[in-house]
Amino acid sequence: MEGFTGKRVGSCFAITDEECKQIHETVVRVLEKGGMRCDDPRAARLYEKVGCKVEDDRRLIKIPEQVIQNAFKTCPPDFMIYGRDAKNDVAIGKGEVHFATVTGRYLRDIRTGERRKVTRQDAIDGARMADALENVHGLYKSVMWLYDEPPLINSQILVGEMMKNSTKGMTWVYNTGAPNEVPDLIRIWQIAAGGADELKKKPHVLGHVIINPPRVVDVNYTDWMIGFADAGLPITVYSATMAGATGPATLAGMMVQVIVETVALVVLTQAYKPGHPLCFCSFNPSMDMRTGLWSFGNPEYSTIGSGIAKMAQFYGVPCVAFGNTDSCDTDQQTAYEKAMILFNYALAGISLTWTLGGTAGFNFCTWDQMVLDNEVAGFIGQYVKGIRVDAERLSEELILKVGPLPGSYMHEAHTRKWYREEFLIPELSNREFFETWERGHTELQEKAKAKALEILDTHESPVAPEIQKEIDDYLDHVRKRDVE
Amino acid sequence: MAEHSDYFDQVAQTVVDCDKDACLRLLDEGIDIDPLETLEKGLGKGIRQIGDDFGTGKVFLPELIGAADVMKAGVAVLDERIKASGKTRESQGKIVIGTVKGDIHDIGKSVVASMLQANGYDVVDLGIDVDITEFVKAAQEHKADCVGMSSLLTLAIENMGVVIQELKDAGVRDQVKVIVGGAPVTQEFADEIGADAFGYDASDAVKKMKTLLGK
Repeated sequence: MEGFTGKRVGSCFAITDEECKQIHETVVRVLEKGGMRCDDPRAARLYEKVGCKVEDDRRLIKIPEQVIQNAFKTCPPDFMIYGRDAKNDVAIGKGEVHFATVTGRYLRDIRTGERRKVTRQDAIDGARMADALENVHGLYKSVMWLYDEPPLINSQILVGEMMKNSTKGMTWVYNTGAPNEVPDLIRIWQIAAGGADELKKKPHVLGHVIINPPRVVDVNYTDWMIGFADAGLPITVYSATMAGATGPATLAGMMVQVIVETVALVVLTQAYKPGHPLCFCSFNPSMDMRTGLWSFGNPEYSTIGSGIAKMAQFYGVPCVAFGNTDSCDTDQQTAYEKAMILFNYALAGISLTWTLGGTAGFNFCTWDQMVLDNEVAGFIGQYVKGIRVDAERLSEELILKVGPLPGSYMHEAHTRKWYREEFLIPELSNREFFETWERGHTELQEKAKAKALEILDTHESPVAPEIQKEIDDYLDHVRKRDVE
Repeated sequence: MAEHSDYFDQVAQTVVDCDKDACLRLLDEGIDIDPLETLEKGLGKGIRQIGDDFGTGKVFLPELIGAADVMKAGVAVLDERIKASGKTRESQGKIVIGTVKGDIHDIGKSVVASMLQANGYDVVDLGIDVDITEFVKAAQEHKADCVGMSSLLTLAIENMGVVIQELKDAGVRDQVKVIVGGAPVTQEFADEIGADAFGYDASDAVKKMKTLLGK
């Protein structure tokens, strides 16, 4: 899917070029002097292989500057997340801005209004919603957990349903740690792609490898890094460091620690498979100091995110992000927090943001919010286009011809030709005259609910029945093996 | 004016200021003052002040946690003196707390630990990724009134049930209460595994603890 683009995409007002260097120099000192704790012998061997110092009973990794530079040299500047349908291909790192879904552990049932835990049917609905909406360029987990399925096979069933109900690219982050989680999911992705080689040729999954902050390389994520890299899936490397709790309370300090942790994973990934595509990611809330909640809707969250995007540019790799609100359900706070964060991200040049549908900091989701966010994404896409200046758009001859009064542009073919491209024509937002609106109207959220219901009632899975069957067969095998 | 009241106020202020060095220095200087009185009128007063200020939104978690850390350091010093004098101090209760095996999330558990300390409980924090047997051993060793378990991971919370079973097997389940918490934990889950209480956040955990221990 073509993303949104514009000439100022990639401009971050949070830090300057000079400050990027200052952050980088600090990062190098921390990695050289303090390094990372590493609980995994395979990771320690990889670090050692590329020239890192392995100390303290092989549990401390110190990374010299030269190793960091070598690692970034082999990172590609961009990569693709393929749709399993060519129209859903997404370019990461090529100046385009994309949006993807994000969900929660709870959901407001669109039919009953009840707020409840998510189930397997919701995973199906979430995937279909994402598949249908035009500004959704990819999926996170179509729900965060299946409360009606056993924990041991939860990830497998969830991914299976996502693969059965949408051809848009998806992303995956560690879920259960169940013994068969890694090989099973890779097998399901291969079935969906039409085979292991097809998955390598056209990866439709972006994998996540994360640090345990502060500064620990985790065993589980080494498993995933190896799994993703072997399957040919691009990886986003990051740390979910939380300002004021697992990271410093200063934004500059956060930049240093987050980049330290991210760079450590870049080195690890490139040590395992030089040239493997990867990107940075922003997922760095600050702790709300009253409740201890990890807060995502605050200004510092997306400011740090835009700083991470700037550092990604500095190192020559792409950047993606998570975006959410702290508000628990659809309301004014949801609207302003998400709109501001996404706008800031888009300007910073973040290639893909997981955000549509989610509220309550990745705990809650609704399909009507996904529809509303789809509309907001369209607005942001229009903003980032900016003003396109060329001879025809400058309209010199037209202006000379039509004016002064009583001329009008309403009658001109130029107007008919250009308005659809230059104006945003919203699907849901109110554009009624006040008097008309006051005589009677449907509230915005009700319009969004109606559209969501229409999608759920009419949008069919684009996935071929034989692929769906093969996935179902594999899920049956998994259930028999692990549960029955 | 009561004897040493200025001194107690100064000790209380070090708790409010989260100033451990100043607190320990004052406790050194006050070696001859009744430790039980210093605990109640000094440290205790300070921590109650912080608790009140937190309740009204005047201070936030960093101050609460900082004050609880000073309190803990101060209590350790005073405990020695109380023991040496042959007296005993009254505690709200002793709580063994940790993040269960399979999970390394620390923040939620640590906030609860600090809130409990700030409310006068003695807390033994076992840390993260705590083995099943570690909880049982610590509960016995410290003669705990309550075991608190935390986790953020849906698979790991299953280990809370295992700990409860082990407490039963060790024959100590009827001597300790069990409270559980963490994002995937619900009241239903707590009931299912036979926990005595579920705290949905740190303040709720303190409230439930007061009910559980009846103090």
